[in-house]
Amino acid sequence: MKRPVYIASRGLLCARGESPGAVAEALWAGGRFVAERRRLGQREFPYFGLALENGNWLTRAEQAVSCVARQLGAISPETTLFIASSSFQIGHFEQQGSPFELPIANAEFSRCIAAWMQLSGPRHSLSNACISGFSAIDAARSLIAAGLIDEAVVVGVELRNDITLAGFAAMELLSPTACQPFDAQRDGLVLGEAVAALHLTAAPTGWRIAGLRTGIDSYSMTGPDPAGGPIAALMHATLNDAGLAASAIDLVKLQAAGSPGTDLAEANALRQVFAPAMPPLLSLKSALGHTLGASGIAETAALLACLDAEQISATAGFTAPDPEIGLVPTTERCAARTNHALLNLIGFGGGLATMIVERQP
Amino acid sequence: MIYLNAAFAQRYAPDELPAAVRAVLGKALRRAAPLTQFALLGALACLPEERRHLPTALLWQSTRGPRLETRAMLEEVCVEGGEPMPFAFLATQPALAAAQIQPFLPGLQSAMHFPLDTEGVADWSLLLSLAGIWLTEDRYAQVLCAHLDYCEDGAEGHWLALAGKPAASCRASFVPAATIRPNALLDTPDFPARLVDRLGQPAASGLQLESPDTPRLAVEFTRYSP
Repeated sequence: MKRPVYIASRGLLCARGESPGAVAEALWAGGRFVAERRRLGQREFPYFGLALENGNWLTRAEQAVSCVARQLGAISPETTLFIASSSFQIGHFEQQGSPFELPIANAEFSRCIAAWMQLSGPRHSLSNACISGFSAIDAARSLIAAGLIDEAVVVGVELRNDITLAGFAAMELLSPTACQPFDAQRDGLVLGEAVAALHLTAAPTGWRIAGLRTGIDSYSMTGPDPAGGPIAALMHATLNDAGLAASAIDLVKLQAAGSPGTDLAEANALRQVFAPAMPPLLSLKSALGHTLGASGIAETAALLACLDAEQISATAGFTAPDPEIGLVPTTERCAARTNHALLNLIGFGGGLATMIVERQP
Repeated sequence: MIYLNAAFAQRYAPDELPAAVRAVLGKALRRAAPLTQFALLGALACLPEERRHLPTALLWQSTRGPRLETRAMLEEVCVEGGEPMPFAFLATQPALAAAQIQPFLPGLQSAMHFPLDTEGVADWSLLLSLAGIWLTEDRYAQVLCAHLDYCEDGAEGHWLALAGKPAASCRASFVPAATIRPNALLDTPDFPARLVDRLGQPAASGLQLESPDTPRLAVEFTRYSP
């Protein structure tokens, strides 16, 4: 059995809004998205935080997860839940302070998430750094397609903590100013927090997951092969899974987080797959922040809301083309109907993932 | 039909791991967290040289995860107040293991890490079901499934190597279970060891792995005879 798998309801809470529709409206309105500044020792970094009070970490997490769960609408409590995160409840441990009492089971936080979402069925947690969200969708989609489950909720959770910020800062991956995807002046990524969820089902809806593949680029621990070979190979594999030619793709949602090396690798890969007919290229990370383990799900929820409105926004933060990149993301917003969109994730630590979504008639 | 080509357990005392890696690779694995070193040893033990170029997926779960490294990172950032050394952060990210394993396992195309949320309970039924789906649709030629844990007392891992075709080492085959019998094996971290034990018993039939929350993920093994 191989059934098509569809995306039904979606939920999103991020720096740009409290629902996919609100985020799509903010993206369409455009402008410069100002990030808060977070201090780390002697340095400060921009950060796209949630508009929630920074009180008790767990209370804040419950507010965020419950907000997204409500957006999904009525879901059977027995629905299988897939949880994607790269940091889980590390912010809670930071707040608790030393001595740090970590639970034996490192994803124990997933039990809280399920309870907050009022889901009492099976839980599966995935932690695959920046591609966690698409890995979770891949697992859920595979089980639904095979007829082993009929529906699933896939939730991505990435919430404020110092460890992640400090880790990325230590590796000099963060921009001190702003996220500028594919820009000549790009100097690093800007982290953010988000909770997002997708309800996947075998019952037809407006969008189908046409293709999804994950891969590995072992060029280095902090960046992909600059020639883009593994990224291009994965895009080809995903197109093959979808049964589509590259020319069928109407829009690419880039990884493009403003990282000098990773943006270049993605651009080189895009040329190998799409040249000479490059589809419009859109990055959302300059508006939402890089929400790491939640990014795949958050950006899918935001993108589908844009596509439902038949609106493609301009890529925030882009001002000057980079001759080495040789590609320009969307600089003007436009009204357009997108039938096939390809979404790229290029993870810290070698993870790659590509998904293609297809509008249903 | 999915074939079980290898099943084994691995255990190391804390100070044995680097030496074991050197014994296998002929050198140390630089800047690799203990879980990564442990995963590499298991993956290479699963696959003979001639199978390491075949399209492979790695699905691994962990109860404790990088617990020691995470605690050290919390101390470094939250108590000492400084920026950590890059490797200290990398060591808290188990997903990075795949990129360090791939050079020694060139066929490794994808990896997923499943942290567990309940002590003593594993997710083998999910891993085996995903492996079965992907092998059936020829996404990969083989899938390695593991449970890996590392703590102050040492490292303990359990591995299953699965493929769409039987190797010379094939021990059993499995299919989704049509019905669940009362003597089904529990989904616990050491499931492979208990499976091997049952396969070694004279009347090894009806070997099932339960999946109480999702019965359709339960699988049934049959001893393989060429």
